[in-house]
Amino acid sequence: MSGTPATAILEADGLSVRRGARLVVDSVSLALGAGEAVALIGPNAAGKSTLVRALAGLLAPAAGEVRLRGRSLRDCPRDAVARAIALVAPDEAAPATITVAERARLGRYPHRGPLRPFTAEDEAAVTRALARAGVQPLADRPLATLSAGERQLAALARGLAQEPAVLLLDEPAAHLDIGHQLRLFRVLDEVRREGVGVLAVVHDLPRAAAWAERLVLLARGRVAAEGAPASVLAGPAAAAAFEVCIRAEHLGGRPVYLFDEQPTPRG
Amino acid sequence: MSAQRRRRVLLGLGVALPVVMLVAVSAGSVPLPLSGVLASLLHGAGIGAGAALPPSSETILWVVRLPRVLLAAVVGGGLAVVGATLQSVFRNPLADSGLLGVGAGAALGAVAAVRLGWAGTSFLALPFAAFAGAMVAVLLLYALSQSLGGGTLHGLLLTGISVSALAAAGTSMLLVATEEFRVKTVLFWLAGGLDGRGWVHLRIGGLVMLGGCAILFAGARVLDVLSLGDEEAAALGMPVHSARLALLALAALVAGAATATAGSVPFVGLVAPHALRPVAGSLGRHLLPAAFLAGAVLVVLADLGTRVISANVDLPLGSVTAFVGAPYFLLALRHADART
Repeated sequence: MSGTPATAILEADGLSVRRGARLVVDSVSLALGAGEAVALIGPNAAGKSTLVRALAGLLAPAAGEVRLRGRSLRDCPRDAVARAIALVAPDEAAPATITVAERARLGRYPHRGPLRPFTAEDEAAVTRALARAGVQPLADRPLATLSAGERQLAALARGLAQEPAVLLLDEPAAHLDIGHQLRLFRVLDEVRREGVGVLAVVHDLPRAAAWAERLVLLARGRVAAEGAPASVLAGPAAAAAFEVCIRAEHLGGRPVYLFDEQPTPRG
Repeated sequence: MSAQRRRRVLLGLGVALPVVMLVAVSAGSVPLPLSGVLASLLHGAGIGAGAALPPSSETILWVVRLPRVLLAAVVGGGLAVVGATLQSVFRNPLADSGLLGVGAGAALGAVAAVRLGWAGTSFLALPFAAFAGAMVAVLLLYALSQSLGGGTLHGLLLTGISVSALAAAGTSMLLVATEEFRVKTVLFWLAGGLDGRGWVHLRIGGLVMLGGCAILFAGARVLDVLSLGDEEAAALGMPVHSARLALLALAALVAGAATATAGSVPFVGLVAPHALRPVAGSLGRHLLPAAFLAGAVLVVLADLGTRVISANVDLPLGSVTAFVGAPYFLLALRHADART
């Protein structure tokens, strides 16, 4: 595989994950290096969310393993995993009355556990995370009063407050308007420049191609293609996986991707 | 949810509780003068000189009213903390100890004690049997939900309903088979009340309730992380399953002790946290202490109500809390409608 970094923080090695009887992730191997930006793309039901959760250690592998800095997640204590890996997923489970700042503070749980009091270091991390996610003005607002997009940024603030080495995001831009999308990916670039490995499930292919250094295309639970965005999107695997025709044009030096439905086969 | 407002609420409740308790020990069929009560209490605490009340009043204060009022405070506080805890664990503002089968199990234990004649042999037999019944119900619930429901929240809820229904059926069958004069003992107990409870109840039950609450206060952050939902909690390194079990066990212990000492006292666990969440927020570290104080105030007042509302009969404590709690919920519903 091209572009596999020599010093991976997080690696999947022959990883298979079952949900019930169904094999959702099938022998996936991939690696995420420090400061790397990887977008996980693929059609609906390709197993992207399952893969991300397995990478975070939330789902046990049916085969293969996930390694954090060379060590199997199975052998890592939970809190050590949570200090190293933050997962930001779209969820509406957080209680409606909790505030944005309170939620971000809970991101410090892996560092302090149930009993140790928060320190100035924790407070600074929370403040930084709120500012970075752009939700400082909403800090004292209960989650119930936020829009879906604002809630998503609040979840991101919690992930940033964890100060992880790896940031995993499942559809972080789903409810964001274009301005907030651009801001989100700029924030991801900022943390990545600080050495955080970022892997995000991104549905918007042009956005994924513009942001990521490397695309991983997942189809039917397997890695169908991996590499530089332009080569992955131009390849036959992407067209086959999404059942579309993908064409790249260049506009002002930047690639613009055009998508068309595949002609329906006759007969 | 400003910190200032939160502090003011906590301070207000912290002041209200001793005031309400002072009124509660003074008022009753034999009213005691507030100044005398205060002097006697201070004397009891080693401050000030000499008995401030006539001997008969001293007895009423120290033997009858003080342990009763203290017990009311601890029962109310305990039930409110249990309510707030379960509401976070189940992520449902209507969760209370009934979901764990505590009330139904305790009732079955109490009826069994009466039916088998234990209740006549020692005044502590009934509360101990009730506590044992509550714990058996909770353990059964746990074992069944683990083996059948895989330990999920959903499985826990359904198992709780089934275990409660079974216990209630057992209670009814035992009641039918119990002599009529003994049935009244059970009915009084089921209706909830602190009549005749003394220092020994406070020492045993109070210890369990206060100890349980103290551990819940200390572990409030676990509660907060769990309230984010299973996935986010696990992603933050929380052993979701065992943490939830520990919290449920503590809640069952406190609720079991409260029910064993005071019988059924409904609505406290629902009303106190519900009323406080808008001002104290839903973080355990803020909500639990405030809920404890509010629950304590509520039950001390309700118990006072049972003694002073009617000159002829002591009303059941459970009825008084329900008379306060049910309208509160209807009003809250109306306000919720008005806002949306």
